[in-house]
Amino acid sequence: MKHIYILLPFVIGFSTLAKAQVDAVQKLDEVVISDTKLIDYANGIKIEILSDSIINNNRTSLTGLLAFNSNLYFKENGFGMVSSPSFRGTNASQTAVVWNGININSQLNGQTDFNTINTSNYNSIAIRSGGGSVQYGSGSIGGSIHLNNNLSFTEHFKTVLRTGYGSFNSKNLGFNSAFGTKLYTGNVAVTYVDSNNDYKYLGTDQINENGAFNNLNLNANLGFYVSNKDIIKLYHQSYFGNRNFSGTLVGPSRSKYEDENFRTMLEWARTSGKFSSKVKAVHLHELFKYFENKDKANFSLGSVNTLLVNQNFNVSFSDKLQFKTILEYSNTKGKGDSFKAPVRNAFSTTALLNHKLSNVIRYGINLRQDFITGGERPFVFSVDASFDLFEHYQIQINGSKNYRIPTFNDLYWQPGGNLDLVPESSYQIDLGQNFSYPHLNVKLNGYYINTKDMIQWVPNNTGIWSPVNIGEVASYGAEIEVKSHYTINKHQLHFSGHYSYTVSEDLETNKQLIYVPFHKGNLNLAYGYKRFSMFYQHLFNGEVSIIGNSLSSYDFGNMGVSYVFNQNKKVNYTIDFKLNNLYNTYYENVALRPMPNRNFQIQTTIKF
Amino acid sequence: MKINKLLVLALLTSIFITSCSEDSDDNPVAPKGDYENGLIISHEGNFGQGNASVSFVSDDFLTVENNVFSNVNGSPLGDTAQSITFSDDLAYIVLNVSNKIEVVNRYTFESVATINTTVINPRYMAISNGKGYVTAWGDFSDETDDALLVIDLTTNTISKTIATNYLPEEVIAVDNKVFVATGVFGYGNLVDVVNTDSDVIETTITVGSAPNSFQLDANNDLWVLTSENLVEINTTSNEVEQTLSFDDTISSPSHLNFYNGDFYFYAGGSVYKQDATATSITAEAILSGLNFYDMSVDNDMVYGVDAKDFSSNGDLVVYNLTTSALINTTTLNIIPGGVYFN
Repeated sequence: MKHIYILLPFVIGFSTLAKAQVDAVQKLDEVVISDTKLIDYANGIKIEILSDSIINNNRTSLTGLLAFNSNLYFKENGFGMVSSPSFRGTNASQTAVVWNGININSQLNGQTDFNTINTSNYNSIAIRSGGGSVQYGSGSIGGSIHLNNNLSFTEHFKTVLRTGYGSFNSKNLGFNSAFGTKLYTGNVAVTYVDSNNDYKYLGTDQINENGAFNNLNLNANLGFYVSNKDIIKLYHQSYFGNRNFSGTLVGPSRSKYEDENFRTMLEWARTSGKFSSKVKAVHLHELFKYFENKDKANFSLGSVNTLLVNQNFNVSFSDKLQFKTILEYSNTKGKGDSFKAPVRNAFSTTALLNHKLSNVIRYGINLRQDFITGGERPFVFSVDASFDLFEHYQIQINGSKNYRIPTFNDLYWQPGGNLDLVPESSYQIDLGQNFSYPHLNVKLNGYYINTKDMIQWVPNNTGIWSPVNIGEVASYGAEIEVKSHYTINKHQLHFSGHYSYTVSEDLETNKQLIYVPFHKGNLNLAYGYKRFSMFYQHLFNGEVSIIGNSLSSYDFGNMGVSYVFNQNKKVNYTIDFKLNNLYNTYYENVALRPMPNRNFQIQTTIKF
Repeated sequence: MKINKLLVLALLTSIFITSCSEDSDDNPVAPKGDYENGLIISHEGNFGQGNASVSFVSDDFLTVENNVFSNVNGSPLGDTAQSITFSDDLAYIVLNVSNKIEVVNRYTFESVATINTTVINPRYMAISNGKGYVTAWGDFSDETDDALLVIDLTTNTISKTIATNYLPEEVIAVDNKVFVATGVFGYGNLVDVVNTDSDVIETTITVGSAPNSFQLDANNDLWVLTSENLVEINTTSNEVEQTLSFDDTISSPSHLNFYNGDFYFYAGGSVYKQDATATSITAEAILSGLNFYDMSVDNDMVYGVDAKDFSSNGDLVVYNLTTSALINTTTLNIIPGGVYFN
């Protein structure tokens, strides 16, 4: 497995286990990522990067990947259904999902459904903890998840074919081809996932009878050097999802949900000495059709198209001082059965500064001013710093103001939409300590987040549900992340674990918010010997309060084994076998929605 | 999302609907069960969250028990308890999202049967001619599958489906007929009249927008409260006798009650009293500053339920009808939505 942590200013890479040799080529590449500010302007920010081989153990679902490999907590309306995170005790609309630098949260509900993101389409997935509205805009309050496609300008031609089959008639197919020279590069990928998802509800005679889903992803990313200073890049992703929505133990369901997302970004990057600039044009499209009854043709529709232009300009005055400005304009148009045809224009200006004051201290100062249709002008800022106090010890600190603008649903939903809403605003502070030794990395973080003017839907005096700015929530907690790696002869051992203690209180009632566990933890153990590797992962989710009640804590484990045939030849094959919910544990992640019993997955991968 | 819309709709529509199934008890000598001589409060719970429940509150308010159904039967009641209808020793609990009707003994709450085949979005029930009549929306998004389900009460199965106008809600039995209010907030203004000998719709009466509650007066005339008026219907001729329109001082009236020769209804945080003999709306507020999700009037009291913010436990709030004094406040469960006398 390969984990990369960014403990700026160090970049420490662990690369290993069975797939290390395959990945080795990639490590040497000149890799271009689209979102450089994720790394360059984040001295005091906790960032965890999950690489290919970690992703491989939780392929197809971003929910599963992050639940086992980060401090995030997820609530999932049954396996494969709508899934939303709570990042540091914040709500589902307060985590931004960022695709190659662009915030892709839905304009309709402000969220990204983590079960619509197929992890195998990305080279790396990064978890950036804490506020990021200056860099990533609305909704970056608890943190942000970054989906990155890298482009490598080296001679290569690599193709990967995957097929998988598992319990509940689950099938997946994947094709990925990456190619390039020093002048151009590209990769294309197609993934398809299909499952009857009709698992048994343990201890009952019921099954998950309306849970079938399938989705198709198409990805294409291209880059060309048009001169030795200019690169043109094109990123595209299409997603087509088709899901039945599961019911609960006491409420059957017959509904179906179809959704599609198209994301396209054209980018021109120019680097000239100390200066670099990028111009990006982006089109984002989201559409859903909700069928109350999957056997009937009636549905309700919502769709949004966003056009966005972004220009940024970076100056490196020296290797110690960098400055970046960003101008962004977006035009968002919605259309749907429950709202008419709202339009939103937004303009923002951003300035980022990063300074290495000494070998010990680096800091950043970041400002952003937005101008949004309707007169809202949120101003946000952040400051962050890192202190490399000792050889193995670093302190990171950051403070920020962040915001979330009302969504189209909040503003225009009929009936109930409220045009008088103001953006949610949030202040936070985060302190991190990082211990890094050759075989051990430990991160400890403590944070405090106060969010005001929370947008909540409540019944008004005529009984119609309508959103208002009422809530004030304080979230605070502590996180620990431990990673350890040993190589003894040809034996490789890897351990990682996360634990978080989270308090998230409604300041009016002084009660913990529903669906925020005080305790959440996970651990991963991996062992590799030559061509063989295996892993075990375990997740603990503490008790959560739900409306009028509480939902029990649970823990469960998965394990997998993997073997590579023909390892160092041109064509190699890998077989993975994975057992999920090893102990056949009954658990509900959301009340009355049982999760799958023990199940298996077998996967073959051919690389050439 | 549409789910939200449905949720919002489902929740807001139930605001305008009252419970009107009061049954007069015979006077039992021996106790028939733990839940006699008190109030039965149905709780919708949160739409889709499966936390519907029933509470019992004794007449003297001293004994209170929440989650009666699950306490007695050891299983959850279901999702979104819309209404309860009583008949002899039985109570029929209509569970909207669970698509079922739980039949229990009204005094012991022991489960007797579950009616759940081909029931989609059931709402209310009435008993006529020894048969049960359950209004059922079918799919909300389909205007052609709305129906009155006829229940064979000996087998607890559906014996017939009668197509109705869009969104059938309250249903009331009068002699050998049932009257079905159709429409919810923003939709519909019709009352379907079904002959329960033949089980066919004999006529449809136009009333005001979104008819939300029914009451029979002393002359067996049916009064229909809608968002815009109070309509009197002769239940023999099916003719409208008179229509009393509201002016803009009272908006979205609901929860019509008839007690001791007067009407009581709820609108905008107040309980209004309307003389049943008046030929226009003369209603005056007798209680104000309320937040009722449902109310029933009896025993010289107003029994209201306050669902609060729909995520904390609601209250039963009882006022004296003549003195307007607050008699009792009892905290119950999530989203109390119906008050019945047992």
